[in-house]
Amino acid sequence: MKKYVLASLIIFIASLIACTKEKEQIEQDPTLGLIKITEGYANGASAKVVVYCNNANISTGYTRFYLALFDSISGNRIEDAEINLTPKMDMGTMTHSAPYENPSSTRAERHLFPCSVTFVMPSASGNWTLKVDIKNIGAGKTGSFVFPVTVSDPVLSRQKSFTANHNGAKYFISLIEPTKPKVGINDFEIAIYKKVSMMSWPADSSLSVMITPEMPTMGHGSPNNVNPIHIQNGHYKGKVNFTMTGLWRLNLDYMSGTAVADTTQYFDIEF
Amino acid sequence: MKKHILLFLCSMALGSLAAQTYTSTMSDDSSRLIQLKEVLIKSNSKSQLQQLINYYKFNNAATLEDIISRLPEVSLQRRGAYGMEPSIRSFSAGQINVTIDGMRIHGACTDKMDPATIYIEPLNLESVQVQTGNNGFIAGSVIGGTLNMKMAVPDFGASKNISGSVISGYQTAAQSVYEAFQLNFKSGRMAIRGTGTYRNANNYRSGGGQIVPFSQYEKINYSLSAKYQLNQFTTIKTDLLADDGWNIGYPALPMDVGYAAARLGSISLEQLKNERLLNKWQVKLYANTVHHFMDDTHRPNVLMHMDMPGKSKTLGAIFDASLKLGVKSQLQLKADGSSTFLKASMTMYQPWQLPMYMLTWPDNRKDQVGTGVVWQLKTDSASELQFATRIDFIQSSLISTAAKDQISVFGYSANNRIDFLKNISVQYSKKVNVPFKITSSISYSERIATASELYGFYLFNSNDSYDYIGNPSLKNEQAWQSEVSGIFNNKYYRFKLTTFYAHIRNYILGTINPAVSSMTIGAKGVKSYQNIPWANMASLEGSIVCRPMEFAEIASTLRYNWGAADSGEPLPYISPLKNISSFRIKYKAYSLQVESESALSQNRKSRFSGEDATAGYFLVHTRIGYVFHFKGSQFQLQSGIENLFDKQYHDHLDWGNIPRPGRNIYIQTKLIF
Ligand SMILES: [Cu+2]
Ligand SMILES: [Cu+2]
Repeated sequence: MKKYVLASLIIFIASLIACTKEKEQIEQDPTLGLIKITEGYANGASAKVVVYCNNANISTGYTRFYLALFDSISGNRIEDAEINLTPKMDMGTMTHSAPYENPSSTRAERHLFPCSVTFVMPSASGNWTLKVDIKNIGAGKTGSFVFPVTVSDPVLSRQKSFTANHNGAKYFISLIEPTKPKVGINDFEIAIYKKVSMMSWPADSSLSVMITPEMPTMGHGSPNNVNPIHIQNGHYKGKVNFTMTGLWRLNLDYMSGTAVADTTQYFDIEF
Repeated sequence: MKKHILLFLCSMALGSLAAQTYTSTMSDDSSRLIQLKEVLIKSNSKSQLQQLINYYKFNNAATLEDIISRLPEVSLQRRGAYGMEPSIRSFSAGQINVTIDGMRIHGACTDKMDPATIYIEPLNLESVQVQTGNNGFIAGSVIGGTLNMKMAVPDFGASKNISGSVISGYQTAAQSVYEAFQLNFKSGRMAIRGTGTYRNANNYRSGGGQIVPFSQYEKINYSLSAKYQLNQFTTIKTDLLADDGWNIGYPALPMDVGYAAARLGSISLEQLKNERLLNKWQVKLYANTVHHFMDDTHRPNVLMHMDMPGKSKTLGAIFDASLKLGVKSQLQLKADGSSTFLKASMTMYQPWQLPMYMLTWPDNRKDQVGTGVVWQLKTDSASELQFATRIDFIQSSLISTAAKDQISVFGYSANNRIDFLKNISVQYSKKVNVPFKITSSISYSERIATASELYGFYLFNSNDSYDYIGNPSLKNEQAWQSEVSGIFNNKYYRFKLTTFYAHIRNYILGTINPAVSSMTIGAKGVKSYQNIPWANMASLEGSIVCRPMEFAEIASTLRYNWGAADSGEPLPYISPLKNISSFRIKYKAYSLQVESESALSQNRKSRFSGEDATAGYFLVHTRIGYVFHFKGSQFQLQSGIENLFDKQYHDHLDWGNIPRPGRNIYIQTKLIF
């Protein structure tokens, strides 16, 4: 009897050890879950550029791009590069740019260079192109790659703008988070840009933001929301609570000090 | 002369022990046992007298609710014609245990439409036990006592191998039908008992003639129980019970029940030895599930259609033993464990939009193990001491990511909570002189918050129009209670008077939370469950049963409840002074009963719970019965008029001031073979 107990104990412990033994770390494909949009060569920089996005369809608003660079001859990854974006929309009678964020470092992040463009209108009103200037640091060469982007309007807009009451300037607001809304507490993130000229759309950190979610169909709100505050580069982070699934309206009030900049804008989220 | 005065007093007493329903054995002071068992099946002795004594015969169609509402300790919160929620001395929900043969079962409705009492039909009920004070917590840590429904068991002792009964009845108030049968089969070491009950009621007519919409219901209940004798002392028993309800209306609520189903099963091993130490013991394993689907499709003017399904699953085991420590000393042991899973959700539909979904009971589980002991000691020939204690370990947990995410809305911790609950009591009883016995007890007990109180998510209470939100950090309620009762007993009458007082710390109450906006359209706001520092409760219960003559019997009960929060505000759902009295005559095959039911007005209303004052009422019910025998079978014919004067009334505990049924004429037949 004792023997059996002992034997089963040993088996039990052995299986525990077997189960907890660490699995070998296999490096995951850095582009897993991303979708390839296009690829091409940055002539002069001897680099091949592969462009990835989170979604196949690019819509108006804040859009993250992930650039993978390869040596155009050896095919090896380029891990050090200085990248500059220039988004441009040609509307026939005029052209304008859009807010964008270059990769924050010249060093690739898990082999990719993350960056973003905020498309302020859909391709229906003109043609978008994104120019990527690349300085291949290792090779000491410079070149650029230009590709067209088709931008559509999503069902529920993630991009809003207003002309501020306090200074008459035009501000563009992008909804970044939540991307996967759930019942419960969610991260909330927006980016605020100010249109200075057709070609200059810098990030803005001067406004303060107040968030008030509501369910328009039911007329109720939600408790314990955290107003977004400026973190960096025009990004504001806070928390939003959803007490149920369905259509939610996130009312946002913008203030400049004590002056009201705008109280008319909101984002709708449905899940 | 003395006898005459007593007689006079008896008949003066306004109320009665629920007449048709039970013969009360007031032997134990802190527990009340009501025998409903049909004598015919219970024992071999089929004396005419015993059969006549059985009050139950008076109204075969009585529901369990009708029966327990007559008990002086029990009140019912009424939301519809069906599914009334029992309370013991104004303790309700998580403050009391409502068990079936000791088994725990949790309703699957966030609106408490399905108390455990709906699953037991009088036909499959052997007795109802109400334990308060001293013993109230033995079946599980609670502060308000235990209501246990003991299911009828297959009968080895029946004189015939196959016996049974068939009942059929009709009532005018709801144009309702009642059909039921019961069969007992025995052969050698085996006995099997099966029952089936069908009820179908339309909207009932209230006093004055108004029809109460959404008071209909339809249900079917069936049970099968088999018992096998392994040897002289040991039996093994299995019980199965199923209950299905359809289209059950709740006039006081914004929704009805589309379909509700409960399935209960258990297997138990019982040993009865008259040995010196281990007298008898029993082990039981059980499982049950409840599914509940609320429905608003029949309601007019529904702004937004919604679905509210809920389910509950319970698994458990119980061990009971009784030990004889000596001639004067006896010990009862109990150990039990259970695990209850609950989940309920709400989905609202708005055309052209995605459905709005939330968990009203986020997936949660309560795991409990506990053990209790009652030690009875006869200190001398006239007095007895009783000590009781119980401890419980309870783990409450949210078991899905969605549930944990949802509780984060209010910033609450989604961690498991573990509670250790302690209960203890001491009781002393003494026969002061031969017919008079006095019993007093003092106890300390604790209870944990219910799933709704811990995790409820915007549970709309239509009585006060607030959405209720749970609070997982609620402290346990702790109660100090004392109870004194006197029993006066002689050949002609039995009189019992009990007073009770409780001081409850950390009393759990919904308090307005202005920081949160309500979810339900039309709700006044949101209440969060909070512990208030304390509340006090008291009650007075009296009952008289007397038989001045061989053929006449008078029974009367009186009860008064009182409760106040620390602020001095009255507590909600407190019954005013109530009395039920009945006078019965049985002569040969005939019986006649006149019953009165009365309540004083309740002006101690709980303002924070949105209560209003309730007027008193006085009702008269009459019942007649006739019994005859035919070729070894017995045939019973019963008829009666309830609410004879067609009074329009409602009770203080009724939600929404919905009037109760008006004049109701019923007729029933029962064949016992
Ligand atoms: Cu809602
Ligand atoms: Cu329900």
